[in-house]
Amino acid sequence: MDSKLTTTHPMVTADSQSVSSQEEIVLSVQHVKKKIGKKWIIKDVTFEVKAGEIFGFLGPNGAGKTTTIRMLVNLIRPTEGTINICGYDVTKQPEKALAYVGSIVENPEMYPYLTGWENLEHFARMQPGVDEKRIQEVTEIVRLDERIHDKVSKYSLGMRQRLGIAQALLGRPKLLILDEPTNGLDPKGIRDMRIFIRELASQGMAVFVSSHLLSEIQLLCDRVAIVGRGSVIAVGGVTELVEDTQHLVIWELEPQAQGEQILQSIPSIQVLDLESSNLDNDTAASLRPHSIITATPEEYISTTIATLVQAGIQIHNVRKLSPTLEQLFLGVTEGEFIE
Amino acid sequence: MKSSKSSVRIWRITGITSIVATIVLIGGFIYAISDVLNPVGSTYTSDATASGAKPATTVATDGSFQIAVLGDSLAKGTGDDDGSGFARRTVDLLQKNGKEAKLIANLGINGQKTASVLSSLEEPGVQHVLKQSNMIFVSIGANDLFNAGEALGNTQQAPSKQQLLANLPKASKTLQQILERIAQINPDAHILYLGLYNPFSDLPEIRVPGNEAVTAWNTTALNIINSQSNMSLIPTFDLFQQNLNKYLSSDHFHPNGTGYEQIAERVVQSIE
Amino acid sequence: MNSIWPLVQNETIKIIKKKRFYVVLLVLLVLVPMFTYAQMRQAQENRTKFGEDWRVELQQAITDNQNSLGSDRVPEEWKKYRRVFVQQMQYYLENDVNPNEPGGVTFTREFLDNSSSLFIPLLIMTIASDLVSAERTGGTIKMLLTRPIRRWKVLLSKLITLTMFVSLIVVSTFIISYVISGAAFGYSGFNIPVFTGFQPGDTGTDMSSVHAIAQWQFILMQMGLIWFVGLTVGLLAFMVSVLVRSTAASIVIMMAALIAGTILTNMAASWSTAKYLFMVNLGLTNYLSGSPAPIEGMTLPFSLGVLAVWALASVIVSFAVFTKRDVLN
Repeated sequence: MDSKLTTTHPMVTADSQSVSSQEEIVLSVQHVKKKIGKKWIIKDVTFEVKAGEIFGFLGPNGAGKTTTIRMLVNLIRPTEGTINICGYDVTKQPEKALAYVGSIVENPEMYPYLTGWENLEHFARMQPGVDEKRIQEVTEIVRLDERIHDKVSKYSLGMRQRLGIAQALLGRPKLLILDEPTNGLDPKGIRDMRIFIRELASQGMAVFVSSHLLSEIQLLCDRVAIVGRGSVIAVGGVTELVEDTQHLVIWELEPQAQGEQILQSIPSIQVLDLESSNLDNDTAASLRPHSIITATPEEYISTTIATLVQAGIQIHNVRKLSPTLEQLFLGVTEGEFIE
Repeated sequence: MKSSKSSVRIWRITGITSIVATIVLIGGFIYAISDVLNPVGSTYTSDATASGAKPATTVATDGSFQIAVLGDSLAKGTGDDDGSGFARRTVDLLQKNGKEAKLIANLGINGQKTASVLSSLEEPGVQHVLKQSNMIFVSIGANDLFNAGEALGNTQQAPSKQQLLANLPKASKTLQQILERIAQINPDAHILYLGLYNPFSDLPEIRVPGNEAVTAWNTTALNIINSQSNMSLIPTFDLFQQNLNKYLSSDHFHPNGTGYEQIAERVVQSIE
Repeated sequence: MNSIWPLVQNETIKIIKKKRFYVVLLVLLVLVPMFTYAQMRQAQENRTKFGEDWRVELQQAITDNQNSLGSDRVPEEWKKYRRVFVQQMQYYLENDVNPNEPGGVTFTREFLDNSSSLFIPLLIMTIASDLVSAERTGGTIKMLLTRPIRRWKVLLSKLITLTMFVSLIVVSTFIISYVISGAAFGYSGFNIPVFTGFQPGDTGTDMSSVHAIAQWQFILMQMGLIWFVGLTVGLLAFMVSVLVRSTAASIVIMMAALIAGTILTNMAASWSTAKYLFMVNLGLTNYLSGSPAPIEGMTLPFSLGVLAVWALASVIVSFAVFTKRDVLN
């Protein structure tokens, strides 16, 4: 991993922890492993989540995100390792630890034959200090007050999602765990959800969000843990991780051959052929025959342009591509991870 | 605040009812266990209000026939294809002749002998049935005499007259007790005793001893009956003697439908 | 959260709102009138045959049974039942008590007797089989188990609720049966004497401890025993519901067991180890009415013991599995 980069946030890898101790650690996951049958589903997961931050949990489907989340809320018992929430071990003292957690695991499944309100009452009876006033409060927070006395079976997916969040907020949690919260929402719903989550975090709540979409995490999270195949590969600030990744830049230059020569002469720029660029199909299809693909760190783009202009090369088009999750993986694992 | 009042109400009602129900049921459970494990036998003294006073014995005096049948398989109607027996057939014939007739109950039991009929007469149910009737048919004795047909099946040699008559003195004495007891239970009823026939009259070995035994029995029965008022004997010996193939069922012991019909016709003739 | 009652309240509300209990009541409201009508037709038929005279009717029934006792074609097991029946009915005649005094109460007593080993357990299963598996099929188990409550408490609350509904179902069966049959046969008869304490043995029924009790007392005892049977079946169905993910599968498993029980009780007399199966021990009310047990050596304490062991085992299994198992989906 390239550590030459200077960053404002500390870059944290899975092995070395260095979290500033001034911030309250709400969730601490230490070397958690899970074996189901003979297979290690989770090999080694370690990370910490602090109060007031939005923590992303990024990984492709099947990487072990859901299993990890289920372990966080005591649905699955870890084979090894510990999970502490606000200082309480989830496995040993679930009745204390879970009092600080609100969660939606996968889909927010509620009792369809009860009204939204009755559902909230149901869950309110299961934790201390939640009265009718609080139920009313969370209903208003998720703006469900108009339909709250309808049966859940009549709710749209978005409304169920909102009711799920209301349910998670009931106990004034310090940690909110959301599993793919934007799944199935329309674009406006997704935007509203982001704004909403930021609002919660700004009030001091730690929000743990899982996703398989890098863009989602980029837009929402402060820090992220990247998981693949049951292990956390990297933990760090989202901006840094993304910046750290090679950015692909596509150049359309004239004359092409001369331009390519200049690009190749710059040491920090790597000219790639189509094969090794790992472009997604849509982008690859949009390339013109004379396009040059390079891996260029973001801060070099402007100086490179200047060099080209000085050399009298005409620049028809420069396109910077946002990295995909696959490229991010490539970055953090230096190619070892993706087969 | 629009609290869901319905769920509070549901909880109150179900909660309280179910707790009360549970307590009652546990009580019943404990009561049941203690009652089964430590039963205290007691004799029940009937209070008339509970089950209704015993109805006064009201036997119809309007000339209608209230018929009860008592005795063995012949009384029951064994061998009859449709299970009617002579009693039911008698009732049907009477009704066909424009009489009012009703079969109160058929208390015939297969294989019954004189002794068990006599003891059954002390059963309140049997007594009750007899008291409800004004016409009582009795068929008994064949099993005492022929030992339910075993005389034929079990021994290679044909039973002698002596063997067949061995039971006669004792059985006929019981018969007398039966008839007297019935008359005592219901003095107003007419008692019809069905005489025996010889089901083996077509088997040369038993024909003669059988005939003699049956005749002896019938004679004894007639003597008993003649000494009582309100009793008569319906002879069947002559009826079957030459017509065994026609009137006996496949078991070669009981009459078939036609045989019972013959008996019924004779009964009707005698009582009309 | 210390009190268990809010959780019991939750479970109660769910059962009611899910209309599971209404289904039970509806089944009763549809079936009881059918049974009542059938009984009414039978009574009418007997009346045309025997008039109003129950003593004659009873004596004829006794004679009919005595006849089958003499027959070689009747299996020995049936003869045992009939012999006991004859003796009991003769006892009723001797004491001049009508065992079938027509009325809603008598009908209810007989209905309870007949429904104790299959019908009421089936009704209870509709609720018990659904309690845990429905949370899993619906996915709500995730919501339920991520609360700051120990898992055993969640399960215990469901168990308490189950007990409550077993009681409600038994009492509802009584009330519905009484109200509906009473409309046809009249509502009186709580004080009619019923004999209990017949002890069927090899040589005949021991009459020494027979005693008369009022019919309401008899029904109370019946309901108590049926409650215990219902609770046992409920706990077993509950365990299956913990073990099996789908409600339908858990109902099928329990139904197969119950029906196997009714078949076995009719034919297991020679397989004596079958008496340790729970399903042949469901006819507890037979010990009250004095019908002979289906298998040699079965007594009320024996049956209670067998049922209690099964019930206890299923509670232990339920808790062991539920508190330890990972919720994977």
